Amino acid sequence: MKDSAVEVQNLSVRFGDFTAVDSISFAVRRGEVFGFLGANGAGKTTTIRVLCGLLRPSAGYGSVAGVALDAGEMAIKARVGYMSQKFTLYDDLTVEENLSFIAGLRKLDPAVYAKRRDSILAFITFQRPLNALIRDLPGGIKQQVALAASILHDPEVVFLDEPTAGVTPAARSRFWALIRDLARQGKTIFVTTHYMDEAEQCDRIALMRAGQIVALDTPARLKAEVFPEQLFELEAVSPVHYGDMDGLRDHPDVAFFEPYGMRFHVALRKTVGGENLRRELASRFRVQAISPTLEDVFIRTVEGERR
Amino acid sequence: MSFRWSRAAAIAQKEMYHVLRDRFTLTLALGLPVFMVFTFGFAIEFNVKNVPLAVHDADKTQTSRRVIDTFGSSGYFLVDPVVSPAAAQQAIDGDRSRAALVIPGGFQKDLLSGGVAKAQLLLDGSDNSTVGPILGYVASIEAIASRRIADFDPPKPIEIHTRFLFNPELNSRWFVIPGLAVAVLAILAVLLTALTVAREWENGSMELLLSTPAEPLEIIVGKLAPYAVLGLVGLAFVYVISRTVFALPFRGSHVLFVLGGILFLATYLALGLLISVLTRRQQIAMQLAMMAGMIPAFLLSGFIFPIASMPAFFRYLTMVLPARWFMTIARDSYLKGSTLVEMGTAFLALGVLCVIIIAIAARKFKKDLEP
Repeated sequence: MKDSAVEVQNLSVRFGDFTAVDSISFAVRRGEVFGFLGANGAGKTTTIRVLCGLLRPSAGYGSVAGVALDAGEMAIKARVGYMSQKFTLYDDLTVEENLSFIAGLRKLDPAVYAKRRDSILAFITFQRPLNALIRDLPGGIKQQVALAASILHDPEVVFLDEPTAGVTPAARSRFWALIRDLARQGKTIFVTTHYMDEAEQCDRIALMRAGQIVALDTPARLKAEVFPEQLFELEAVSPVHYGDMDGLRDHPDVAFFEPYGMRFHVALRKTVGGENLRRELASRFRVQAISPTLEDVFIRTVEGERR
Repeated sequence: MSFRWSRAAAIAQKEMYHVLRDRFTLTLALGLPVFMVFTFGFAIEFNVKNVPLAVHDADKTQTSRRVIDTFGSSGYFLVDPVVSPAAAQQAIDGDRSRAALVIPGGFQKDLLSGGVAKAQLLLDGSDNSTVGPILGYVASIEAIASRRIADFDPPKPIEIHTRFLFNPELNSRWFVIPGLAVAVLAILAVLLTALTVAREWENGSMELLLSTPAEPLEIIVGKLAPYAVLGLVGLAFVYVISRTVFALPFRGSHVLFVLGGILFLATYLALGLLISVLTRRQQIAMQLAMMAGMIPAFLLSGFIFPIASMPAFFRYLTMVLPARWFMTIARDSYLKGSTLVEMGTAFLALGVLCVIIIAIAARKFKKDLEP
């Protein structure tokens, strides 16, 4: 496929007896913001490490930025940018030292580097001195500089592994504005996250569980697919015990039940019994029809299958 | 695989920033050689002088006094008169004296009656590093005293003139300080390398390096180059202080000395790298570096304990230790002025060990980094 930035077919990664990634297939279009959602250990980071040329797959085919995975890691590394969840920048080095170090590793020409650096720092509206130590920057700014470092060599595909872990909500939303901008400039963004609000901003998301992709679509279509029933939010008018609610979970007309603090999300089947149950619940709760959040989708697909 | 100097240089430059901003590394690298040379040069004295000597003179004659005078004027002993043989024993027990001289009554009478005048010397055998030198002094003093008392040189059927080559005064500084070149390089190279590479594993930045097209060999060269420079600076410090402050001779070839230093340094940098690849944790790497790098360099290299007097097992064990061979090269360069041919075994052994350890470390490192 000519317009696929990333394409993967039956990709598996095994570590000894443990299968971290279990025969997954998907394709990411150029200029798309593609989200990977899943619990820790679901195989998100392992998949990204394969696609960045850091790990060889045990089986399957893949290509990144037009380069087949088996064509050599170096060709892939030259075309992709990577921001890992664990480490981003050297704390004891300045912004300039970090960026010029990356430029040196990427063998950027000094003049090209200076131009790229200035335009990227302008893009992230970095207004601090270039000789500021990374450790003196606030977490959000540091994250943005790390993003700048990963796109310094103008890669076609950028892999961001939980890029906003541990920064403030304001910094997160600023970071996502940058991600959307990059996508508009034609870059393909491949991002993993724990945050549902971030997942909503992806063009498409893949839900991962135990090394497999259990659902893949746009956020809107995922919600429609996963919740063919009407979803209601119940708000208790008087205090309720979780124990009293457990009956609902196994009720034949309840397709989905999940507590959210003192509220409950309940999907009722479109049956007579379901309608009766709704009326019965309305006597005890404030009942409101809502559209499902990605969190509901995530719980129903990723965690619900375990039940 | 294509090695690019520019990438190695970028890594070396980054590493240099780390070093310059890290007080611990910088202090260790620059302070350690100075500290060690001054400590070993000034504080540690293997030459035995001013030995406290408890003396009991039961004879109290001209002859006995002349013997005691000879001890006192030798410069090696501080004479401390005591009242009885038991008191002399007590002086040793109480650590007030290292040795005791007991001259019995009738000492002079025995001599004059044509017999042999006998006195007893008690030595503190619990500190055997002083016993040897003291015995040596006593032998000379005995001869001098005999001459002074008899007032003539007795004819000797055999006469052995002893001359110490290379270190005529048997100055222990001359012996120890060249060995510090080995100790300083060993500590700096193994410890700093093990720490710096383990740190990249520990904080996850190795992943960042690997996500770029950098090759393992470029990473090795770039990361180790600054520490190689620090090691050579340390070596230069040892050399300059030894020559200026302690006025050591340097009779050999500087080129050979530096060449030996570089071989040794390369071997130990590789050893540090190997340790960090095996441990991947700074704390464990540090402990292993101490064990594998420093302890052999201090204990089994002949630095303080002579290899010749080790049990056979350890004598053979030292042969696989790079420190032992560079110790030979350093000492022979300073004191003997040996040529390459004379130090051929040491250079050959060091060269072989160097190649082997680098090969193992590079292989292991590369294997670890491959996807």
